[in-house]
Amino acid sequence: MKKVLLACSSGMSTSLLVTKMQQHAASIGDEAKIWAVGQDQVGKEMEEADVILIGPQMRFLLDKLKAQTSKPVEVIDMMAYGTANGKAAYEQAIKLMG
Amino acid sequence: MSQDNKMFLLISKLLMPMATYLNNSRYLQVLRDAFMLAFPITMFGSIVVVIANLPFLDKFMSEGTLNAFKSSLGNAPSATMGIMSIFVVFGIGYYLSKSYNVEAVFGGAISLVSFLLLTPFLIEVEGMTEAVGNVLPLDRLGAKGMFLAMITGFLSGEIYRFVVQKNWTIKMPDGVPPAVAKSFSALVPALLTLTVFLLLNIGVTSLFNTNLHDVIFNVVQQPLVKLGNGLVPTLIAIFFVQLFWFFGLHGQVIVNSVMDPIWNTLSLENLNAYTATGEVPNIISKQFVEIYTVGLGGSGSTLAVIVAILLFLKSKQLKQIGKLSLGPGIFNVNEPVIFGLPIVMNPLIMIPWIVAPLITVTVTYFAMSTGLVPPPTGVAVPWTVPMFISGMMATNSLAGGLLQLVNFLIILAVWFPFLKFIDRLNLKKEQEEAANHKDEAV
Repeated sequence: MKKVLLACSSGMSTSLLVTKMQQHAASIGDEAKIWAVGQDQVGKEMEEADVILIGPQMRFLLDKLKAQTSKPVEVIDMMAYGTANGKAAYEQAIKLMG
Repeated sequence: MSQDNKMFLLISKLLMPMATYLNNSRYLQVLRDAFMLAFPITMFGSIVVVIANLPFLDKFMSEGTLNAFKSSLGNAPSATMGIMSIFVVFGIGYYLSKSYNVEAVFGGAISLVSFLLLTPFLIEVEGMTEAVGNVLPLDRLGAKGMFLAMITGFLSGEIYRFVVQKNWTIKMPDGVPPAVAKSFSALVPALLTLTVFLLLNIGVTSLFNTNLHDVIFNVVQQPLVKLGNGLVPTLIAIFFVQLFWFFGLHGQVIVNSVMDPIWNTLSLENLNAYTATGEVPNIISKQFVEIYTVGLGGSGSTLAVIVAILLFLKSKQLKQIGKLSLGPGIFNVNEPVIFGLPIVMNPLIMIPWIVAPLITVTVTYFAMSTGLVPPPTGVAVPWTVPMFISGMMATNSLAGGLLQLVNFLIILAVWFPFLKFIDRLNLKKEQEEAANHKDEAV
């Protein structure tokens, strides 16, 4: 089970990407939990996740979150974000898991 | 790399620390959380105010019934936004303590009491020579006390956590139940913090014959709020929202960190006045900024842009972005347009992106200052409510929704020539690509 947490200001725009990422994960037969939260929740939800991806508009959260966790944290690629490219974002998450 | 790109990267580098500071600063974060705490509470009060002021009620109720109906609902706004400063001061004390990992609920309670210690338990009633004692003046717990609540929340929270962290607490021997020990551990910090505020109040009332409510209201709150109610400061704020977004940074989150105390206070003043008299004193408020910018398809009011793309443009790539963006755009989520079109660091789009909302905000301001459209009543409307509906809800009038449609057309007109130009460039590129494919096939 791969657990990917997405974070943005209120978890709205990242939730668009969540659906697309879930679809991609299902299509390649991966079992994954992918969910989106706002910045007020991310500290708590981080414990559940294997990897945390941040919406590019909130990229100023990166250093703060990195300081709070040893798990991989990265900003989602802008173009993948804008086009709701679930495949690209999911692959970014998998790569981070190593 | 082009000249534009170099310059943009440089500006982006300059804005980044500002964004980081404003979003991640402990105090601004605590303030944001405290207002979030108050949000569902004000939402409840707002819904009741909307019900009490439904425009058709006077059609099937006599005046007496209507007044009785309204006054029976009156407790809802009074118990919520009427005493908003209480929730804010408690929230600040709570979240500040939490951010320092000290017992948060005590922090909240101590901040609340500190605020009350500075509050005169008196009201002056017109026509009476002596003030009425033994009462809490409701207005000081609402909009009027907002800035004192914020200042007191932070000061008392800081003193409390400082004392706790210094470990000036009474230690209980082993075997004392944890809950009992906990209540004692808050004792010294509470006594010290509250003493400071009691002495402060004694000092101000006896030496200067006034109280901190009046001082902060007149010296800090009133001037700031008056300034915030002007067109020019609002345009500056909107300019920065757009500028941050242009560099792909969440403009609202950053700018609101600074402006929310002022905008929320203006909203609260509006709502209190509206509930009491039906009149709205301030044009600018949280709802003005939200409903007439974000409310038109997201930051930068991009629903018009999506519609223009879908109706008038031909490029495949743009059409695809338009289709993807329409659904979220109706509910004012527009990251797909911002990052997909893209708007971010796109020199061809910088002008309409920044100029269009400045025009619509100005138009909206004058539509309201001339009385053509009523200003938002202060009723909380979630920012995800679609255009037209949100405008009507916020102003309790059809005109408020129509004004959004006018703004929509203005945005469309400002963007159109720029979109057309991008469309032409894209079409040319797409045709070239198609031709290349053909060549390869041969």
